[in-house]
Amino acid sequence: MRGGRTPGTARLSYESRKRRTQLLFVAPAVVFLAAFAVFPIIQLFRMSVSDVRVSNLGSDWQFVGLENVVRNLGQGAFGGVVVNTLLFVAIVTTIGLIGGLAVAILLAKSGRWSATILALLVFVWALPPVVNGSVWKFLLGTQGLINSVLLDLGLIDSAVPFLFDDRIALLSVAMVNAWVVIPFNALVFRASIISIPAEAFEAARVDGASRWQEIRFITIPAVRPTSLVLFVLTVVYGFRSFDFIYVMTFGGPGTATTTLPFLGYVQAFIRFDFGLGSATAVIAVLMVAVLAVIYSRSVRREEIG
Amino acid sequence: MKRHSVSRPRRALATGAVLAAGALALAACTPSASENGGTADPGTPSTSQTISVWHYFSDENQVQILEDYKEIFESANGGVTVENVFVPYDQLNPRLISSAASGSGPDVVVFNGADAGTLALGGALAPMTGYWDSFADAGQFPDSVVHRLDGEVYAAQGYVNLLGLWYNAEILNEIGVEPPTTLDELNDAMDAAVAAGYAGITLSGLPNSQGEWQAYPWLTAFGFDYADPQVEPLVDAFTMVQRWTESGALTREAVTWDQTVPFQTFAAGGVAFAENGNWQQGTAASTAGFEYGVVPLPIGSSGQVYLGGEGQAIGAFSANPDLAWQYLEQTYFSYDGGVIAADLVGSIPSRLDAAGDDVVTSNSLLDAFATSIANNGGNYPAPAVPAEAVADQQLEVGQIWSAVIGGQLSPEDAAQQMVDLLAGLL
Repeated sequence: MRGGRTPGTARLSYESRKRRTQLLFVAPAVVFLAAFAVFPIIQLFRMSVSDVRVSNLGSDWQFVGLENVVRNLGQGAFGGVVVNTLLFVAIVTTIGLIGGLAVAILLAKSGRWSATILALLVFVWALPPVVNGSVWKFLLGTQGLINSVLLDLGLIDSAVPFLFDDRIALLSVAMVNAWVVIPFNALVFRASIISIPAEAFEAARVDGASRWQEIRFITIPAVRPTSLVLFVLTVVYGFRSFDFIYVMTFGGPGTATTTLPFLGYVQAFIRFDFGLGSATAVIAVLMVAVLAVIYSRSVRREEIG
Repeated sequence: MKRHSVSRPRRALATGAVLAAGALALAACTPSASENGGTADPGTPSTSQTISVWHYFSDENQVQILEDYKEIFESANGGVTVENVFVPYDQLNPRLISSAASGSGPDVVVFNGADAGTLALGGALAPMTGYWDSFADAGQFPDSVVHRLDGEVYAAQGYVNLLGLWYNAEILNEIGVEPPTTLDELNDAMDAAVAAGYAGITLSGLPNSQGEWQAYPWLTAFGFDYADPQVEPLVDAFTMVQRWTESGALTREAVTWDQTVPFQTFAAGGVAFAENGNWQQGTAASTAGFEYGVVPLPIGSSGQVYLGGEGQAIGAFSANPDLAWQYLEQTYFSYDGGVIAADLVGSIPSRLDAAGDDVVTSNSLLDAFATSIANNGGNYPAPAVPAEAVADQQLEVGQIWSAVIGGQLSPEDAAQQMVDLLAGLL
């Protein structure tokens, strides 16, 4: 035997080298994640159980246990903020999913118009939120395009207070958020729809199925697995939405459009109560984590299926 | 120069945590300096002959002041480069504090003067007591524009900005009223303007420090005082403001406006009054297509107008604090620097000698502001508010102000809520 090595030893050596190579390739991602995801999250949790203010940010953090969470719960506005967050997520998810599916069905057939509209959708989706929010703030203003059109058409007597009535403002910002997520959902739904065999639709037509019946009995069941994944992603997206609120209402009027991410921002970066802001962020992270678990399970189920 | 005495690992941990909280809360959404026309990244380390000046000015005239100062300083100091770095208003304080936690930051900071205490507590500003005490012209500056904490001078203001009542002279002529000198006259004038089909007033109701800054004159006009917060004066003030929104004199859309938008709305015409500042002089001249003027806010003898404006300070981690001080001394704190700010923006120099310059005294618009300083000028923030509570107080009051304008809270509920909140802060 050359070099005195048995075939088993050679295989082991090859396996070992292969594993080392694999580890080498994985290492950058692990280091990156550890530095920019794991470490900050550990620090976030540590900060959430500490008293961290502007005066001691760079020095000792006194451990206070769950005091920050208790302080949050003790604030009258916190319950309202949680309700705002849940409402916001519900609106974004409902409109985002239904709108995305509707657009996908409309654009399922290939063609010049379909391609043009898809390109526009990608543009809308890729537009920076700050730009998007500023444009919508202008459009929804008292003298903005939407109110002007509604007034000119005689549909309303006075301008709709889209962004400054506490009963409407949250809905308005959530609608804009949903409008932005519709393109992404539409693109994913469309990919799912065009993978449905054409024979299924042809057979349905031969049987006399209407367009609505095709959607109800073929399209919707076929995209159900995709819907679950998109549902979780859209919920997470709605849950962490911050930018449109920041640009369009700054959480107002009062605190009418303040959600958990925005509250965390205000506490940490305006009030400089980093401990309190971190506790709010942790509450939001935990809620999103539950959804992330659901998402990963649904993906695994998809893969197995 | 005294430096922040925090160990590097601790600072790194703190920075990491701030980054984490920021990433989770912001979700990578706020504008960056470069997006807004900044000239360098705020993270750029300074060299011995380059001084970085962080500021939040985006208005053309305000930016021009910085450009003029840069030219003055670079001309007078060969080989020195001044880098003016724009950081959006809402991001300036967080960036300064997180930079300080990691042991970095600019050489010079130009910030909202009211935040001096917060930034000093956050270790972002270097004490400049030594420089100030040896500054030959220090006596030219009123004590109210020198920001101290625990006996140390941390910042001073080269000029003062404050609010006044801008009026559309053509509308007032049409409805037959004179610029108001009392609240009753103002309310009558706004009723007349609304009856004639005009809007009454524009102001900011944003739920943050800008809202609090704009609310303060109206609250104090009814006798409110942070030193002894009472419900009754707040109820009266909030009732008046809600009467404005109910009559249509003030749009509730103001809750989404920062201080720039209401003035642009006023300058576009169709609004009788605007509660806005002296710094809008340039905008008024370039935008308003009508005759206009300014009178002091008609807030009586108890009313107060914050003497605001930007504070100027040396960054706690400046690589060259001596050069940074020279920059301040030769620009913001100089006679010429004060005159430049008055000329370009309408800011009132803090220096007593510069305030008497022709540029100021010959400007009829600035007369009203000068009168306001004399009759109603108040420290910003109010002295009764402890430095560590300023950020909370400004936010909470701004949110309540916003809720009152938006109709979310009744005057009684808003007043009680505000007094309760202040009780925990003051």
